[in-house]
Amino acid sequence: MERKGQALRLAAIGPAALRAGLMAGMTLADARARCPALRTAPHDRLADARLLDQVAAGMARFTPRVAVDGVDGLLLDITGCGHLFAGDDALARLAVEQAALAGLSMRLALAPHAAGARALVRHAPPGPLLQDGAAVRAAIARLPIAALEAGEEALRGLSRAGLRHLGDLAARPMAGLAARFGEEVVTALRAIMGEGGSPVVPRPTVRPIRAVARFAHPIARTSDVLEVIEDLLEEVARQMEARQLGGRRFTIMLERSDHARRRLAVDTSQPQRDSAPVMRLMRERIETLADPLDPGFGFDAIHLAVPRTGPLPARQNRLDGEGREEDSIAALIDRLSTRLGEGAVLRLYPRNTHLPEKAQGLRPALHHGPAQGWAMPAQPRPLMLLEPPQPIAAVAGVPDGPPQRFTWRGNTHDIARAEGPERIAAEWWRQPLGHLPDYRAPTRDYYRVEDRAGQRFWVFRHGLFDEQAHPRWYLHGLFP
Amino acid sequence: MVPIPAAGLTGPLAHTPPPAAVAPLDPGQVPHLAAGQLHELHAESRGWASALLFALRTMAQTAKTGGQGHAAPLLLVRPHGSARGMSCDLPGNAPYGEGLAMMGIDPARLLIVETSSPADLLRAAHEGARCAALGGVVVETWGELRDYDLVASRRLVLAAEVSGVPVAMLRGQARPRPSAAHTRWQVATAASAPVTSLHQPLTARLPGPAAITLALLRQRGGPAGLSWHLEWNEDHARFDLARPMSPIPARKPLFGAVMAGTVVSLSALRKDMARRNAA
Repeated sequence: MERKGQALRLAAIGPAALRAGLMAGMTLADARARCPALRTAPHDRLADARLLDQVAAGMARFTPRVAVDGVDGLLLDITGCGHLFAGDDALARLAVEQAALAGLSMRLALAPHAAGARALVRHAPPGPLLQDGAAVRAAIARLPIAALEAGEEALRGLSRAGLRHLGDLAARPMAGLAARFGEEVVTALRAIMGEGGSPVVPRPTVRPIRAVARFAHPIARTSDVLEVIEDLLEEVARQMEARQLGGRRFTIMLERSDHARRRLAVDTSQPQRDSAPVMRLMRERIETLADPLDPGFGFDAIHLAVPRTGPLPARQNRLDGEGREEDSIAALIDRLSTRLGEGAVLRLYPRNTHLPEKAQGLRPALHHGPAQGWAMPAQPRPLMLLEPPQPIAAVAGVPDGPPQRFTWRGNTHDIARAEGPERIAAEWWRQPLGHLPDYRAPTRDYYRVEDRAGQRFWVFRHGLFDEQAHPRWYLHGLFP
Repeated sequence: MVPIPAAGLTGPLAHTPPPAAVAPLDPGQVPHLAAGQLHELHAESRGWASALLFALRTMAQTAKTGGQGHAAPLLLVRPHGSARGMSCDLPGNAPYGEGLAMMGIDPARLLIVETSSPADLLRAAHEGARCAALGGVVVETWGELRDYDLVASRRLVLAAEVSGVPVAMLRGQARPRPSAAHTRWQVATAASAPVTSLHQPLTARLPGPAAITLALLRQRGGPAGLSWHLEWNEDHARFDLARPMSPIPARKPLFGAVMAGTVVSLSALRKDMARRNAA
């Protein structure tokens, strides 16, 4: 459903609703009156457009010339493509299957020109797919005048004149029609009949960045493979340079002569076009493979693709080599991430909460730069946090006071000095049920304590005495 | 054609050899970790935070600034919590950003590498030592770490000499072993000085700023057996001398009567070797 003017109306309906007698464009109140069990969802035009675009991209396997028509149509220019799929009807069947993969059903029509096919698919009664030129022309002649998609006024005039089908119109002189019903009727008619032009404007396709090397004889040595990869990298670098792009991810597919395929991928933290650093990462990746590159009887072909790219303008190297330090850090992150996995090279980032263990997080340095927004804490914070907090057995002098002694991992620490408490309440606004008057999550009282040997700890009592009868103590951090 | 002066190529572009010898540490000054060298910091779990702070803070202070005015990043290589053979006394410990910020170390400068095996740990440390853009490399190790031997430490030294990056190995629960390190330290926490304030009765029982003791166990080309007592200066976010200690020969040795580990005598510079290793 969607809002149109003052009323909520149905924007599109499913097959069950169609059987129940509902129609698109009906008001929601009307529809609910006829079918109380109606389930509705807000209409998301953007998502529809995105889905259609994805389906259109998938149709590129049939023809490079695919155009999106309106909000629910696709135009495929399959001139000269049919024989690749053993005939136009086989191609049409495959296209329906492809759309079914996306969960869509579709109507099809073939015509010698785009406007005719479009009119057939939108206005012809359901029937078998017509391929024969004469049959298609006859079907177009039988189309109702609504297929012209002219203005309301022109259509009313046409039907008053007793003209029901396009065939009736086509038999009459065009000049008279243009004079009585307007130029647009004639233009649309000529386009549908195939007399005027009906160009297809294909959706722009971005050529993927890839290169392939095929060999007359299979190659088997890893050093040869690496050499070929280096050549391929230089080739994709030229492609990327023309578009001012740099690769963020490079994938290699090795095709073995027994059709086994092996895929390798490396990621870089910065868009990269030079082959040398990517080669280093590739070597690193091949070295760290759990099972070595098994060439079998050799590789027939090597494909290199760059599925993820980023903008990388051409840059002049400076003679003094300045400006290379940042790159060098990026290269270090790439190398370590390739060897150890991207989850192993991390940066700290602050999070907006006052619970100490949640106030920071770790995220891969491969995808994130240095975090901004670290605030200087107002209260002492430890250099190292123990997560989860370690339970300790503590003895406090007064119930609400700092501990006098605590035991952790078998060692007893006598507290000489203490500072606190810093009281940190639980975040009731993050609890699933919100704030409940008769339930309070334990509040923590943090103390910075120093034992007689000079070691400084961050301990907390989990719960106030009016919240819990026997609150427990935890060690949460270490001060230098 | 523009003539290039011969000196122009031999000047800034040429490889600058590391200083022939690092000046021995002065007992009257706050000690530092010399750049382009490997340092070993032994600490028990109770002095771990102190050792980490000393290493990071010294490197953060002396590190050059990077290309665009940013401070050079610091690499912290540490074993992953479940890494085998490197279990530590401090379960689930992790550096804490706000605590680092309090100690004058911008958490955004920190790059943390978590490794799952000793080989990965040393390899990551070596990668870091080779990267001249870093301000320093701190490696947290626990246990004896058999892989860290004379060869491994010498590799780190050669990489650090070429790049000029200081490398600190934090050694927990480990006895000193022969290595190529430039210095070897024992770090421990110390009782903090009382907080001096007008409200003496109120502040008498408050813990003061961080205090640590550093014992220099070995120093290549200089006297060993020095020790320092340092106190954190909250105003300037740095360590200051609490009370200067002259060499104390009577100080009790930390590892029994005889030091188990010796610093093996190595030629300080083998430039060709260093270059080959870095290539």
